[in-house]
Amino acid sequence: MLDFINRIFGRESSSSKNVAKERLRLVLVHDRAGVSPELLESLKADLINVISNYMEIDKDGLEVSLDSSENQVALVANIPVKKMKRKFQTESA
Amino acid sequence: MVADWAGDNLVRLPGRGGREPEDMADDNTIMVQRTLRSGQSLQFEGNVVILGDVNPGAEVVATGNVVVMGSLRGVVHAGAEGDSSAAVYAFRLQPTQLRIANRITRAPDGEQSFSTTPEVARIRDGMVVIESFQTGPERQG
Amino acid sequence: MGEVIVVTSGKGGVGKTTTSANLGAGLASAGSRVCLIDADIGLRNLDVVMGLENRIVYDLVDVTSGNCSFRKALIKDKRFDNLFLMPAAQTKDKTAVNPAQMEALCSEIKDDFDYVLIDCPAGIEQGFRNAIAGADQAVVVTTPEVSAVRDADRIIGLLEKEDLREPKLIVNRMRHQMVKHGDMMSIDDIIEILAIDLLGVVPEDELVVVSTNRGEMVVLNNNSKSGQAYRNIVRRIRGEDVPMMNLEDSGLFDKIRRIIGLK
Repeated sequence: MLDFINRIFGRESSSSKNVAKERLRLVLVHDRAGVSPELLESLKADLINVISNYMEIDKDGLEVSLDSSENQVALVANIPVKKMKRKFQTESA
Repeated sequence: MVADWAGDNLVRLPGRGGREPEDMADDNTIMVQRTLRSGQSLQFEGNVVILGDVNPGAEVVATGNVVVMGSLRGVVHAGAEGDSSAAVYAFRLQPTQLRIANRITRAPDGEQSFSTTPEVARIRDGMVVIESFQTGPERQG
Repeated sequence: MGEVIVVTSGKGGVGKTTTSANLGAGLASAGSRVCLIDADIGLRNLDVVMGLENRIVYDLVDVTSGNCSFRKALIKDKRFDNLFLMPAAQTKDKTAVNPAQMEALCSEIKDDFDYVLIDCPAGIEQGFRNAIAGADQAVVVTTPEVSAVRDADRIIGLLEKEDLREPKLIVNRMRHQMVKHGDMMSIDDIIEILAIDLLGVVPEDELVVVSTNRGEMVVLNNNSKSGQAYRNIVRRIRGEDVPMMNLEDSGLFDKIRRIIGLK
């Protein structure tokens, strides 16, 4: 019902144009950076390898994406940490 | 260009034109059993017979005569090396542009012919003229 | 010496050829000397849109390969003495011309004209590279759809790489009613994403189809909204400062919304 009212009065909360805009924004971030999903996956794997040397992380919860603001593209990594390792592997060795 | 070859005496059009059919038929006649579509170009030294249409955007260039057993809507050039006795025959003659020898013609702006009878275009007295082309002794229209 | 402007889009079917024809005719009717070049070799269409298809004897490939001079291949428009078309070849393909030849041709032609408009083929391959080779400026045509905007973004990137900086945007087939209901991206949405200057907005208009059927250009129709939009774009290209057209026709719901304060 609310949806119906919104439609009549042209409110834009879930309108298709916003969906279009959001999808475009995501697609263009990748287009502009020229980064393929394969490359991101491989980057993710490398990150896990390096970080695992220092701390225990939730590998499944790890998110790597490219974000754009203005004319810049930033690499954003969200890495949930389970616990710190007591000693760095390099030291214990 | 896929074309099916046929031997001598291919063209047997009981013509009433300036040329007798015997003159037209010789070894140098190609028969094309398909429709020429936009972007396709057929160039041949001799006569060309097309069992199909010539669509807008397609072109047929022949040093001899061109016969289209269908609708001719594309560009056609008969007598391409200067033979001004060459002619163009078609069941429906509605070319984008029609050239015979060194003459270039097109339909006047805003006019479209909807002739349903076969027609022939040839040069007479230095001008390209289009006449209806009747077959057989019983003339219609 | 004239300006060479390439009309491009990336995606096909957004109205490059229609836009080229209308801008060409509009510029000519405003008094400029205009040459339109159809760079879509193998899929030429500008000639039919302009109703000049039956006058073609020589084409672009004849010129670039040295078969004839460019003046011999130019077709004079039947409405304007100062509008000319260089038709594409239909029976060849894109590889029949290379960017260096196009660049040479453009620099030769632009001495004779105020504006040289190049109708670019869809895609980003050789046809695109040919079309932009001799251009001084670029106009990017898009429609308010995700696919067209995405391709426009790609094209803008490629244009900038080729030193065609600051391309201008034309948004075609805008449907104001749908924008109002939130079912189509608005001009602001598109500009926000593409971040380039807007040259004009052309509303969806059935008269475009009717005109094209007849080989006429809607820009010459004084009673059409799309024609008005094209005329405004023409004036902007000629350096005038023309405000954006108001496509809005305020309907009943607008008034109600205003009354109950939803807007």
